[in-house]
Amino acid sequence: MSGFWRGFVARPLGMALIRSAMLVALLVGWEWASGNVIPKFWISSPSAIVAILGRWIADLSLFGHVGATLTEMGLGYVIGAAVGIACGLCLGFLPRLERITAPLIAALYALPKIALAPLFVILFGIGLESKIVLVASTIFFLLLYNTLDGVRDIDRDLVQALEVMGATRSEIVRKALVPATLPWIFTGLRIAVRYAFTAAILGELMASNEGIGYLIEASAGDYNTAGVYAAVFVLVAFSVMFTELLTRTEASALRWRV
Amino acid sequence: MSVVAKIALEGASKEFTGRGETVLALQPTTIEIAREQFVALVGPSGCGKSTVLNMIAGLQAPTAGRVVYDGTPVSGPNRQVGYMTQKDTLLPWRSVADNIGLALELKIRTVSANNRARRVAEMIELVGLTGFERHYPGELSGGMRKRVALARSLIYEPETLLMDEPFAALDAQLRLVMHDELLRLTRLRRMTVVFVTHDLGEAITLADRVIVFTGRPGRIKALREIPLAHPRDAFRVRFSEAFAHLHEELWNELKDEVAKGTDR
Repeated sequence: MSGFWRGFVARPLGMALIRSAMLVALLVGWEWASGNVIPKFWISSPSAIVAILGRWIADLSLFGHVGATLTEMGLGYVIGAAVGIACGLCLGFLPRLERITAPLIAALYALPKIALAPLFVILFGIGLESKIVLVASTIFFLLLYNTLDGVRDIDRDLVQALEVMGATRSEIVRKALVPATLPWIFTGLRIAVRYAFTAAILGELMASNEGIGYLIEASAGDYNTAGVYAAVFVLVAFSVMFTELLTRTEASALRWRV
Repeated sequence: MSVVAKIALEGASKEFTGRGETVLALQPTTIEIAREQFVALVGPSGCGKSTVLNMIAGLQAPTAGRVVYDGTPVSGPNRQVGYMTQKDTLLPWRSVADNIGLALELKIRTVSANNRARRVAEMIELVGLTGFERHYPGELSGGMRKRVALARSLIYEPETLLMDEPFAALDAQLRLVMHDELLRLTRLRRMTVVFVTHDLGEAITLADRVIVFTGRPGRIKALREIPLAHPRDAFRVRFSEAFAHLHEELWNELKDEVAKGTDR
């Protein structure tokens, strides 16, 4: 029996079946518990959530909100990551500049960016811009530090080997330092997805008129728990999707890591 | 050696400082190595042999004295040498072929892509890695990585080759093949070689001169010219009577040092 079980789990299909069964059990349990054990108002129910999602899709309102959040998150992420990586590489290769600026950067990093969100709203309005800035400022530091750590972690012996071989400074950067830092940058990018979503949603919760965070806030304002759960579900789906996408890109870009 | 030496250590010594303690790794040492000479450094672990190579490569500065290359004191990485360090410094994100071809991609050498591919293929065959061209270093055994590192330092035919126990991780048969190739190649290309090894037999097979070091702090204990005629047959030379005499003589110098090394 146990041998059969182990063989079953080892197969991709078996694993998928077990996971689906678990999910179905969870949903059925939730549906049953809702109203019978716990008041429907608190935990809503899968059927009510699906109904709301269906309504949002039918009246197309969901796409506007998802589009807003993805724009804030995506633009903020790309800008923050690009500037963060560039600054990380620069500071990594210019250790003296890095030493001079280290306390300033550490202080800015220690500051919870969310505390600046009201300021960003004053400066950039309640539209997308304030959230893009909030996301970018969060992601910037994540990638700055990851890239910097990557440059610092480089095996000095590799660099020396290239020096003796006759490599120029720029060849050493291109052929050793950048590729060696790549795994660190990917790790930063992967972690940053979650932070980008968090920052975008928090920005929306604080002051906005569209986006998934607005949807959560508006539903909660109407005591519509099903709406809150539905919006959270959409958020989780996108966060998982982007993280998975990055994990796959990383795996194919860093095939040498065995 | 009346002519200007290719490489000269002039009273070079090396101290290392760590945790507030200063350790003398190499006592003031004077060595002269002539152009196209093959010199083997033999001695127990920690006797400063690798330090000598690092100083010639310009990766470590002597604490006192100086190292002179082609009449000029070495300061900073020495680009005239190819250095095969004890630890292989392969780039883990590059395949075997791309690691071996690395030196030929650099600006100071202009080699066409075709020419480079051909020379890489030759080197891969020479070190017996055919079929592993597209593997990454992380997928190779220790011995295979050593062969990649060897091919990488041989491919650009530097005028001077520094080798730190390059064959220690190879099996006995392959080591003999590599000895033969190294002898052939270094003589053909008229290279100067400084070769660090634990293996006295290897040193006598390859070198024109063997220098025996004492245990730490390292100091030259014995210096012996190896009069075995060239071209040497790496497979047979060790069965000659002259070889046996040299081995006996040098082993007498070495064995006390090795014994001292194991006492500690």
